[in-house]
Amino acid sequence: MGMNIQETIASPLVWHPQTAAEAWQLKQTYDIEAVYTSGGTLLRTQWESGISAMPQHLIDLSAIRGLNELRVGEAGLVVGGQTSLQSCRSNALLSRHFPMVTEAIRTIAAPSVRQLATIGGNVASSIGDSIAALLGYDAEVIWFDGTREHRALLSEWLHEASAAKRGNERLLLSVLLPFEESLGETPVSNGAEDLTSQMKRFGAYHKVGRREAFTPSVVTACINGVLTCSNVIKQIRIALGGGQTVPVRLEGLEKEISGADVDGQLLRHVYDRTIELFEPREDLFASAAYRKSTAANLIVSELWKAAKDNTKQL
Amino acid sequence: MLLNRASSGERWRVRPDGPGKVTGGLAYLTDMTTDHMLYGLVLRSEHPHAHILSINTDKAKKLPGVHAILTYLDIPGLNAYGIAHPDQPVLCEDRARYVGDALATVAADTLAAAQQALELIEVDYEVLEVVDDPECALLPSSPQLHPGGNELHRTVFSRGDVDQGFRDCAYIVEETYYTPRQMHTYMETEGGLFVPGEDGRLTVYSPTQHGFMDRMQLSRILKKPQEEIRIVSSPIGGSFGGKDELNVQPYGALLAMQTGRPIKIHNSRWESVRAGLKRHPMKITMKTGVDAAGKLMAHQVSLISDTGPYSTLGAEVLNFATEHVIGPYQYVHLDVKGVSVFTNNGMSGEFRGFGGNQAIFALEGQMDRLAEMAGMEPWFFRKLNMRQSDNLGPFDQPIAMTEGAEQVWEAIAKCPLWLEKEHLTRMSSSGDEPWIKTGIGAAFTMHGAGLGVGIPDPAGGRLELAADGKIEAVFGYEEFGQGLLASLEQMLIEQFGFGAKDIRMIIGDTDVVPDSGSTTASRATAMMWKSLQKLKAPFSGQLLQRAAAVLNRPVEQLQLGEGGIKGTRENSLLLSYKELADAAGEPIRCETSFSFPTSSTERVGAHYMYTYSAVVVKAEVNTLSGRARVLQQYHVVAAGPVINPQGYLGQIEGGSSMALGFTLLEDSVMEKGHYIARNLDTYLVPTIEDQRGLVEVEAIEQLPEGDDYGPRGIGEVGSVTLAPAIAAAIRQACGKWATKLPVEPSFLQEAPFFLGKG
Repeated sequence: MGMNIQETIASPLVWHPQTAAEAWQLKQTYDIEAVYTSGGTLLRTQWESGISAMPQHLIDLSAIRGLNELRVGEAGLVVGGQTSLQSCRSNALLSRHFPMVTEAIRTIAAPSVRQLATIGGNVASSIGDSIAALLGYDAEVIWFDGTREHRALLSEWLHEASAAKRGNERLLLSVLLPFEESLGETPVSNGAEDLTSQMKRFGAYHKVGRREAFTPSVVTACINGVLTCSNVIKQIRIALGGGQTVPVRLEGLEKEISGADVDGQLLRHVYDRTIELFEPREDLFASAAYRKSTAANLIVSELWKAAKDNTKQL
Repeated sequence: MLLNRASSGERWRVRPDGPGKVTGGLAYLTDMTTDHMLYGLVLRSEHPHAHILSINTDKAKKLPGVHAILTYLDIPGLNAYGIAHPDQPVLCEDRARYVGDALATVAADTLAAAQQALELIEVDYEVLEVVDDPECALLPSSPQLHPGGNELHRTVFSRGDVDQGFRDCAYIVEETYYTPRQMHTYMETEGGLFVPGEDGRLTVYSPTQHGFMDRMQLSRILKKPQEEIRIVSSPIGGSFGGKDELNVQPYGALLAMQTGRPIKIHNSRWESVRAGLKRHPMKITMKTGVDAAGKLMAHQVSLISDTGPYSTLGAEVLNFATEHVIGPYQYVHLDVKGVSVFTNNGMSGEFRGFGGNQAIFALEGQMDRLAEMAGMEPWFFRKLNMRQSDNLGPFDQPIAMTEGAEQVWEAIAKCPLWLEKEHLTRMSSSGDEPWIKTGIGAAFTMHGAGLGVGIPDPAGGRLELAADGKIEAVFGYEEFGQGLLASLEQMLIEQFGFGAKDIRMIIGDTDVVPDSGSTTASRATAMMWKSLQKLKAPFSGQLLQRAAAVLNRPVEQLQLGEGGIKGTRENSLLLSYKELADAAGEPIRCETSFSFPTSSTERVGAHYMYTYSAVVVKAEVNTLSGRARVLQQYHVVAAGPVINPQGYLGQIEGGSSMALGFTLLEDSVMEKGHYIARNLDTYLVPTIEDQRGLVEVEAIEQLPEGDDYGPRGIGEVGSVTLAPAIAAAIRQACGKWATKLPVEPSFLQEAPFFLGKG
């Protein structure tokens, strides 16, 4: 190992608050001199590359009680922000009900990093690779404003968080994944109109990176929907991200195609509109144009696949 | 023979250096520390090209804990280094030519103090125009980087009249190929410990591929006799050519001599990227034509190589590439021109394959395109044009003749993976994921070993019965992970009959070892083998004669064995090596020294010994993302006897994984003379996930009768043929010819077929 210069310079003070309120208070006290941290895996790369300076105070969130577990709540599965990516990855509940999140986490960094990194850190960074999958399940977040907890849609929270110039003033506590309505449990109509047995859920998460593993993403794409036997889109969510791009839902496109038949024309529309609507950030390793076409290819091919299983006509 | 554990039987041995490396127990030279040592750091240029108007170290010198700050004024000897042509300043005087150029070096009690001192050094620069394009650098209007201009070296080789040749062609392919600035990415970054002795000597513990070369270069810089410098250079945590040239040694040595204290320097990955060598990026334009029967009529090549700011072995790499763009084929007319150009980009230099990788990517690309154009099966097309065993070498020079080309060709032609290619063409793209397309391709090379004509290329070694009864094998070669010690141990066991416990191997210490030449150019194992061949009779003879005297038995009744001397009839131990060592008499010691065999030609750099090899690759392209993946590889290598099966396999697999990076992932992208990817989070090398598929290696061991050159080099050849084979597989998969490496996903990406055109 090369000697790391940063390690020889004065290290920051590390605080270990026991409650969210204490953490919040520390952040108020030290303000821009302090940074919330969990595993610290992303921060470390930023310090090393000079993107951000090592702060004077680190507020370690890992000791806050109750944030490092997954539990079933009234509204869905609650994933504590301090749960390590490794714990998430191996959690049976998560993989049974939200397999695309498990898949997304499987492809983040490498085992040693996943042992330290947390789902909260991945989401709070605004650019984590789990986010597109979480958006695909309409995830919500629970955050703390210094006095009380709030619940918000992840898509809205991201919008706020990424707009905030100086750090994130909202302390992320947990991620909430609402259980999807089981198609088997929806009210059944009789006879030939029995839609439930003829509808199917489909979905996929893809990460395209610059190599096969331990790679920053270039594009993350998630599609999650319900299709009737005659290939009518009953429900659809499309989420895209990757690299330094804050992931987004393509809600405009989702509205346009809800209720539509999946045919050649629709696929073309989805492809064209994805390229139009998705605004990825580019870098020297991958252009925006490549990211757009990759995202469009991934989404439209999953839709084609889902519809193709119903009919061989496409 | 397919090389693997099963086929190797008892020859598959645990490496002597394996347990220490796997457990982390082994201390590398850069892990070393000592009492009272100081930390050394180097101040490097902020700009890729600038006049240095002044360097002021006053403030930095006043910093507590700082013991020395050296600039060009403090160098007692030659302020330059470079194996072939010393033109790289140790510490720049008036001009910086790349971002790795050193301006000052600091020794301090702590790393933090050294770092702070660097920040306090005030440098006045006058920024100059950056020369970052080798073609622009050749224009008269370009700023000139050296007194001799921007041309480091030019090569020319021609035969016949290519213009006439092209007039006789039925098919002509003209193409330009681009190869990347690949980084060696050894795990252990450059560094070392530099310890001044009370006797005025200096001991340098720092990885290098040729300890005596470092000693000579440091002696020039320090103005200190070579005998007063000791270089300890192994074990090394990877090199691949990257540590062949000096790196941090001049700074450690200067600081140690100045302060009288031990100095530790160890580059961070960031500094390693910034200052270290990379593979020469090349642009290779080829025009190649065949007659109606598919025979090569004319081959015209123009190479331009970006050598960066200083020479190191840039000229030699160009010589190698010039030889290898001709390769194993026969042409009626030939015209090759090459130029290696100075720029303000990063330092290019020696790297596994040494210009062959770039050359073969282009040459084999031409062969595949021509075969396709002429409507011929690509492997048969190669056969039609391939050299015969008694042909001269690429530069029309005499070479050690073998049947290697023919044998490798045959082995590929009948290997199952190559036969599968035909089957693939009949498969339509269907299935659940029709956007994933598969193809198979193959490529061939003959790769020269040794430094070539005109460059001193010494070899040799020593065997000795030590006082404690150990058989000491002493060589000036280095262990940088390639398995040199394992190969040496195996040869001593198999050729002499010693047991592993009888042997002590000593390498990498200029005070002890003979100058066996460099551990480069796929030469070390071959030269150890040759040395042992020369030493076998005299050394065994001395041991047995001494034993005969001690035992009072006829020497014919004795043989060497595990643990000591045994009888030829009975297998019991008669005399241990310790007892033999204790017996009175002259020390038993044999030394040999000779040179790597060279061709009887005047052509500088031309080779005499070649390894022939080829690979078949199956690859798939996911056209949605444009990403290509290698699924399976079948290598055939004709390099004479397999000395160490595990090491052989490791060299081919390891070389091929580097080539996979070269083809699909790696490029040290530069912008205006600055590195963009400065750490391993953006400079991506292949992971195990990128190279999951089956890799098989078939070794052809047979050599012509009377060939006593022994094993040929295998250290580089695994890294040479993969790129053009992948390119051919991609062509079959999705119809595109890649000309630029690494292959850009955006180039291979397609909109899904079901969208139709539009």
